[in-house]
Amino acid sequence: MMGLVYKDFLVMRKQLSYYLIFVVLYAGLTVAGVFTPFILPGIVVLVGMMLPMSSVGYDDQARWDKYAAATPAGRAGMVAARYLSALIVLVAGSALILVLMLVLGLTGLIDSPPVESIAAVLACLCVALVFDAVILPILIKFGAEKSRIISIIIFVTVFGGAMLITQLAKNLGPGGGVAFPAWLAAALPVVLALVSVGGFVISYFISLGIYGKKEL
Amino acid sequence: MENAIEIRHLTKDYGSFKLSDVSFCVPGGSIVGLIGENGAGKSTTIKCILNLIRRDAGEILLLGRDNIKDERLVKEDIGVVLDESTFHDTLKAPDVGKILRRVYKHWDSGLFQDYLRKFSLPADKYIKEFSRGMKMKLSIAAALSSRPKLLILDEATGGLDPVVRDEILDEFLNFIQDEDHAILISSHITSDLEKVADYVVYLHRGQVAIQGAKDELLEQYGRLVCSRADMAAVDDAFVVGRRTSQFGCEALIQNKEKFRRLYPGLTVDPVTLEEIMVFTVKGDVQS
Repeated sequence: MMGLVYKDFLVMRKQLSYYLIFVVLYAGLTVAGVFTPFILPGIVVLVGMMLPMSSVGYDDQARWDKYAAATPAGRAGMVAARYLSALIVLVAGSALILVLMLVLGLTGLIDSPPVESIAAVLACLCVALVFDAVILPILIKFGAEKSRIISIIIFVTVFGGAMLITQLAKNLGPGGGVAFPAWLAAALPVVLALVSVGGFVISYFISLGIYGKKEL
Repeated sequence: MENAIEIRHLTKDYGSFKLSDVSFCVPGGSIVGLIGENGAGKSTTIKCILNLIRRDAGEILLLGRDNIKDERLVKEDIGVVLDESTFHDTLKAPDVGKILRRVYKHWDSGLFQDYLRKFSLPADKYIKEFSRGMKMKLSIAAALSSRPKLLILDEATGGLDPVVRDEILDEFLNFIQDEDHAILISSHITSDLEKVADYVVYLHRGQVAIQGAKDELLEQYGRLVCSRADMAAVDDAFVVGRRTSQFGCEALIQNKEKFRRLYPGLTVDPVTLEEIMVFTVKGDVQS
């Protein structure tokens, strides 16, 4: 299974380096005041969406699945590798963005207190986990080509929902139009964490079931 | 030694095509050629063996173990070459070794390097720059470097030039020098199998039409060329298939020696696997 994870990173190394340049570029634009600092954790969500799709796309193109399923890794190993690769990218990406935001915040280059940076990165990590939890079984079932449109719909829904929640959250403050119960506002991070982690785990078992029946 | 592969009553129904009651063995220390026309069921059989598709009925034992219950264990000892390169274009040959050494417990990195050198596969080129022959050699190098006991090859020599094919067939013969090793190779290039196979399984429309030791099959069958009048006198029990034209008849004859005794005036020529296949597929043909 680790071989398949390693394969993902070898195949995606060029794309990952492009994302790194993307992060540096956006960090620069954030420092220049073009964007709000909170666009940086959004990159984690974007990468979380793009990488599994690209990875499955490359595998489809190479007809890798047929070969990998014939190795000792088997179908279960392939599914586990997909989820582990996605998780590694998300966690490592989040850590990188968090360090970047903290450094830029502490040096005064961007206006983002450490607590807000941490909260923003963790929230985006959770959203990205939810997104991957939804998209991975679809990718595994239909392949990259057929999943593209479904993914776009999900992307719009997830981001639209996230923006709506953000807007509502802003309105929670003094003078805000929508009054969430205080307990709900307090519980929201925990709920988001549980939904994302729980959803990711449930999604893994759904994918195992789907891939177990798939004819290669 | 035990059979490397035992397939009993394998059935897979796609609706439009059915692999039906296929049974055969791959004895240890041998090369078995799986032949048949396109769509005869060769790839379906291999996919069932590798558990890439679900079988509807039957049993498959690989190296004495069930291919599904003991899948992970048994696949450590199987090297696989599929009909096309399955490695990503953006990888280089050494990358394949780095990946597979984390997949196979018995992966031999030194052996893989040796094969890359032996097959003249450049380490600094991307796979997308490789020719089809180079890609196939890379797949074979990867399959052999996992130190397998059983090699399964699906149309591995298809589309390759004769020189590369010969080089690859030599490698299979080297592999089989160890009598614990065995190879199942599917191909519709029967001349390749005539060179290396010990046994032949001929699939026709999803069923085993003919199977046996290659030399015995070639000994058992013969090609009869004669006039229509001579053909009319031949007992139909000897005739597997015939081709009739305005100039005469050509037929695939079984029980060649008995036929020669009964019809000393008729000439029976040696036959090739391809002729056995073609005559069996066509049956009686008027041209």
